[in-house]
Amino acid sequence: MSGALLYLPYAVAVWLFLAGAYGLVRSRHLVHSVLCLAVVQSSTYVLLLSIGFLAKAGAPIFNPPQVPPGSRSVDPVVQALTLTDIVVGATVTSLLLAMTIQIHRRKGTVDPHHLRLTRG
Amino acid sequence: MTYGFVHHLAPLAVAVPLICAAALMPLSRHLPRAAADAIATAAALAVTAMCAALTIASTHAPIVYWMGGWVPRHALAVGIGFVVDPIGGGLATLAALLVSSALVFSWRYFDSVGTLFHTLMLAFLAAMCGFALTGDLFNLFVWFELMGVAAYALTAQKIEEPEAIAGAINFAITNSAGAFCVLLGIGLLYGRTGALNPAQIGTVLAQRPADALVIVALLLITCGFFVKGAVMPFHFWLDDAHAVAPTPVCVLFSGVMVQLGLYAVARIYWTCFSPALGTHAAAVQALFIGVGIVTALAGASLAYSQSHLKRLLAFSTVSHSGMFVCAIALFNAAGAAAAALFIAAHGLIKSSLFMCAGIVLNRFKSMDEGALHGRGRSLPVTRAVYFAGALGLAGLPPLGISAAKVLFDASFERQAMLWIAAVVALASAIDAGAVLRFGLRVFAGIGVRAPGGPLPQTQPTETRSRNALSEKLTMLAPAIALPAISIWLALSGTFVHGVERAARLFTDQPAYAAATLAHRVQPWPGTAGEALDPSAYAINLAVCAGALLFALAGAFGFRLPGPLRAPFMAIRRLHSGIYVDYIAYMMFGIGAYGVWLILAR
Repeated sequence: MSGALLYLPYAVAVWLFLAGAYGLVRSRHLVHSVLCLAVVQSSTYVLLLSIGFLAKAGAPIFNPPQVPPGSRSVDPVVQALTLTDIVVGATVTSLLLAMTIQIHRRKGTVDPHHLRLTRG
Repeated sequence: MTYGFVHHLAPLAVAVPLICAAALMPLSRHLPRAAADAIATAAALAVTAMCAALTIASTHAPIVYWMGGWVPRHALAVGIGFVVDPIGGGLATLAALLVSSALVFSWRYFDSVGTLFHTLMLAFLAAMCGFALTGDLFNLFVWFELMGVAAYALTAQKIEEPEAIAGAINFAITNSAGAFCVLLGIGLLYGRTGALNPAQIGTVLAQRPADALVIVALLLITCGFFVKGAVMPFHFWLDDAHAVAPTPVCVLFSGVMVQLGLYAVARIYWTCFSPALGTHAAAVQALFIGVGIVTALAGASLAYSQSHLKRLLAFSTVSHSGMFVCAIALFNAAGAAAAALFIAAHGLIKSSLFMCAGIVLNRFKSMDEGALHGRGRSLPVTRAVYFAGALGLAGLPPLGISAAKVLFDASFERQAMLWIAAVVALASAIDAGAVLRFGLRVFAGIGVRAPGGPLPQTQPTETRSRNALSEKLTMLAPAIALPAISIWLALSGTFVHGVERAARLFTDQPAYAAATLAHRVQPWPGTAGEALDPSAYAINLAVCAGALLFALAGAFGFRLPGPLRAPFMAIRRLHSGIYVDYIAYMMFGIGAYGVWLILAR
């Protein structure tokens, strides 16, 4: 893979982070906000996986004699991190969506601008 | 490596509360409330004892425990370990002590509460212990997120109230975004060093001077943890969460959770970045001192402008976060010692103040200064505890913060940066003045009545209204015990010297790396102690007098003239109560910190 292309995943990670954050700032719907947060989080998936990427390398599953231990493979550590990260993300997303349902039930709106907390 | 008894306490301090939490959950319909209270409190007390034992044992040599026996070979760590030093262990002990106290407080505080509350409190405790004890950066992120999720759910405990959910959503979205910044930073560090073990990262990074990638990683990790640590401009979620969360939960947020965010910044700075930063450390120091001072002063003035007690105390926590960051920013052992002792003493005293707030809320169903004017006179014991806590916040001896302030001032004096200590003393006086003013009006009926409606007649769902003796005892006992512990800590020379020694170990990167990566346990290097100067307590008394002046001025309705008030009102208006703005401020903050770190190279 050419040099410039190797940097593409990092650019995508930055883009996802900023796009998600921009979406959060402009959000007018709680479900939209929760999904924007998931977009921000997906930047971490892309970054982690691209850190572990290695050109012309297989999955980190060694199976002698075809794939002897120590043969060229992508980094399994970042894959494990990404999996854990996805689980964490699912927890946060589901909790936030549950809160969204509850607030809709109580207040009849999911527009964050109508949910401002009053000052003391 | 063979493990002694005490080594096994490290994973147990996390496993015991998690197992109890998991066991309580399915029993929610079958278990009587008292049994759930007893099991949860016993588990939290057991964790307190385990963490205290770990802390004491770790003063001789670090407690290093590798999960599954994955011991490092040739100074390369593949496994995931717990590394307990006295500072991390001490924070875990503080967390467990505060969870125990909050659980005792909540026995009679809640009318009806399911075992879900106990489950979440124990999961929160497990996450805080894991966070303080872990020796692995990715695990630090996972504990951070577990801590977050439990905290978001606890904030929305009063699920019938839309305000509670809105506060929890603000909290959840800002803190999750912060956590993702942390993870991006950890990912960059892994990409550079191929390690997740902080000792190993530090060793690899030290091989060449810090470049842009290392600085960006430092920026992302710092900003991410500063969201939890409530440093400006990342603190906006904090007063929303405190205003709506139940009192026992506020105790944990202000007492220890916020400080854990700052602990993580200090820990990662020392173990990973300090050997590589070189001359760049000065830029980081200037940044930390700058934001620390701004946070301390602005937090104090925001506290002063509040008439809702929980928000007032929440801003006081923001202000103290700024003070802790100033102490950490000295980047030496004396500063770390001051920060550690300050965090311990503040956690104990602020928790007690929140419990007083909870007792007032329980009795009068209001947190408003105007509505409560003079009402607190019928609660004499709570009044005494509240005033002790308010003056303790200003550094009244012999309460714990007094000793912390002495260390704090001395550490800045030694670096010829006494002006910082002076600015922090001013912030402290304003901050404690705000807490005292509320006390003068509410508990003593002094001064003019603040604007505010009459007491509400409706009964909120959070609290029960019985006025039994047991209710008074279970709510007052922890509120009295925690400041009493802080007195004991401040007066015990062993403890203060222990903190100073612990801070020297905390800031000794080679010792940490050797202890973590070595095949055998190595004792800490020996260190010598210095004595506290008793005359330094005089400054504390001056701060107390200043706080009293601010309190009286506020209570009698003195206000700044309009033009001088304008900047404070502008800062106050930024707190819009809605996360979309908070994310914008956060992005601005990351950008501003980043520009400073890159320009100041």
